[in-house]
Amino acid sequence: MKAALIRYSPLLILAVAWQLISHFELVSSTALPPLTQIGGAWLDLLTSGELEKNAAPSLYRGGVGLLLAIGFGSVLGIAMAWWRPVNVAIGPLVEVFYPIPKSALIPVTVIWLGFGDGSKILLIFLGCMLPVIIGAFNGARSSEQVLVWSARSMGASRLRMIWDVVVPSALPDLLNGIRTALALAFILMVTSELIVAREGLGNLIGFLGANGSYAAMYAVVLTVAFLGFAADRIYQLLMHRALAWRETAAT
Amino acid sequence: MSFVVEASERSAAARFIRCAGWVAAHFASIVALLVAWELFARSGAVTMFMLPPFSAVAERIWTDAIGGGLWVNIGFTLYRTFMGFLLACAIGIGLGLAMARTRSARWFFDPIVSIGFPMPKVVFLPVVILWLGVFDVSKIAMVTVEAVFPVITATMLGIQCVGDELLWSARSMGAKDRELLWQILLPAAAPQIMTGVQVALPVALIVAIFTEMAMGGFGVGAVMMQSSRFADSRGVFAGIVEIAIVGYCLVKGLVIVRHHLLRWHQEAIAPSTV
Amino acid sequence: MTSDAQIVVDQVSHRYRPPSGREVLALEDVSLSIQNREFVALLGPSGCGKSTLLYMIGGFLPVVAGSILVDGKPVGGPGPDRGVVFQHFALFPWKTVKANVLYGLERTQLPRSEREQRAQSYIDMVGLTGFEDSYPSQLSGGMKQRAAIARTLAFNPQILLMDEPFGALDAQTRSLMQSELLNIWRRTPKTVLFVTHDVQEAVFLAERVAVMSARPGQIKALIDTKFDKTDPHIFKSKAFVDKVDEIWGLVRDEAVKAQASRRQ
Repeated sequence: MKAALIRYSPLLILAVAWQLISHFELVSSTALPPLTQIGGAWLDLLTSGELEKNAAPSLYRGGVGLLLAIGFGSVLGIAMAWWRPVNVAIGPLVEVFYPIPKSALIPVTVIWLGFGDGSKILLIFLGCMLPVIIGAFNGARSSEQVLVWSARSMGASRLRMIWDVVVPSALPDLLNGIRTALALAFILMVTSELIVAREGLGNLIGFLGANGSYAAMYAVVLTVAFLGFAADRIYQLLMHRALAWRETAAT
Repeated sequence: MSFVVEASERSAAARFIRCAGWVAAHFASIVALLVAWELFARSGAVTMFMLPPFSAVAERIWTDAIGGGLWVNIGFTLYRTFMGFLLACAIGIGLGLAMARTRSARWFFDPIVSIGFPMPKVVFLPVVILWLGVFDVSKIAMVTVEAVFPVITATMLGIQCVGDELLWSARSMGAKDRELLWQILLPAAAPQIMTGVQVALPVALIVAIFTEMAMGGFGVGAVMMQSSRFADSRGVFAGIVEIAIVGYCLVKGLVIVRHHLLRWHQEAIAPSTV
Repeated sequence: MTSDAQIVVDQVSHRYRPPSGREVLALEDVSLSIQNREFVALLGPSGCGKSTLLYMIGGFLPVVAGSILVDGKPVGGPGPDRGVVFQHFALFPWKTVKANVLYGLERTQLPRSEREQRAQSYIDMVGLTGFEDSYPSQLSGGMKQRAAIARTLAFNPQILLMDEPFGALDAQTRSLMQSELLNIWRRTPKTVLFVTHDVQEAVFLAERVAVMSARPGQIKALIDTKFDKTDPHIFKSKAFVDKVDEIWGLVRDEAVKAQASRRQ
């Protein structure tokens, strides 16, 4: 506990510095509202329901897109590793789309599905599928030959063997890929909503900014930033649990 | 002992042939992809609006290229990308070095880095705009903020992993502290630092394009978003193809730089895609 | 302790704190004196602190308890009077063999042409002619170690500190390198302190073997091992075999102790 305090104390120092700087108007308080003001605005948003009203669609879009990406991505990645034809067919697609910035797909999804939920879910699905596929692929490829042979020699069918040996071996790479996808989901959610949305946290940020309610804007910005951070930390905890049987923890 | 030399000569020739074959195969699959795109678009399964045929998109790109607009926009995007990227490298390597070698720097910046990493930093764009206005400065600042993280962590890792023995050898040969830094530490950490740099450049490109989409003001991203709003699907897809090509060139460019800079490393392979 | 000994280690102790756990006493009241141009082996089980002692003499670890004098002066830090050869070669991977060897010569005040000449002569001496422009990653283990030795010899240190330099090599290469090291030492006599856990290697190479106890390390015994090392059948000669047995007996107890303490 004490160690955590020491570790994060620079943030406390920054927070105090922030409060002092804005309080004494060293920087204009419109550009940098005091933390207390931001806190107050956050509470207002919470009590007025604005926060939930916008958080719900954002998290819904992100969640659905991500889950679809994980589902399809893991299956595809493992299939690519174990069946040559699948690799030949999908491999080039992955290689072509990997270097394309996923945010670049925003205008495309808008053209296809308009300004609503659908385009965002599609965006997050397409974008997040890539790191999951790559993670699953690399993980499945790396399953030790010896383990596979052992399973087969004990009579496991190909499918069974994949389930019993390949998937657990692939878990570290796959889970890391999902971690990347999680971060990417937040990014795509925010970016798509900042540019085109009717409601959602990103949209709320833009609205508050245009309105001049900067303290409230900061409040939502920090909320989203914190959510992204918290999601990653929680996921890491779960990931370590799932990989507890590994002697060396992969970070 | 001469077999070592002969083997490397033979394998150089073999490597070239394999490389040429690989390039051909690679382009073959892309060509196949484009053909598939064209056929699928014309097949009627989706409207020409939803998926304009590749030929139409290519034609649009060509018109833009001739008209000059393409180069202006790519120029803007690359300008913002590289400014932010270079800033990120300078700050990132400096910070990473400080954090790896000085306890106080490490203590102060560690929570910022570890919290900042998984955060969707692009959410701070409205704040950056608030501070720095609506023109290039804020775009470049946003790029820097995002791209600096992979450089910091890679530099930290690289410097931490430099074996004591290397430093001790140098010191026993009389090297002073400043010489240690430039002559030993940085070259030894170069492979890892380069990896961080290679991750940072595509990130810089993505963020530059995103800021253009959000803020307008020339650049491939801005044009794409405009096309989207005007339901100009060819323009949108043209933008995607342009980004893909630019991104590919940037990544490949860095791979070549890496191969040259790190030719002493055991055939270091750049971070691979699939 | 003779006052004209080149290296004088006097009642040196060393403590360190590993990242997790309590403080460890690595060395306890170690005393040793090494004469000019003597070849001494430091022998002991893993973890007994022999490398630690070497690093302290080299000036990489501070001397807090006790004193270490080299040529009458206390050790202040690393310097070109004490050349070091490490187990994992510590060659600069981004420099060619020649550039590596030249690095040690840069700080000498010699003119450039002479530096290049010297570098080349040492590269030739260790048998790496033709590989001056190769990078370490292109060399085999034995070749890397030769390059490391050439680099250390090039700036002509009076003292050579070697930390299990042949430990990372396969048995055949190791055996070849041992003979070569003796040849080099005969040609350019220096004071050598050679750390190893291999009894045969210690008896073959050194004139005196200092046997260290398990942690906390102390000098358990000092044994003379002067033989006619040019005898090609030396490994089978009775004197040699007996000496190895004698020292192995001393080391074995310590090795068992070291094993036991690790299991706790």
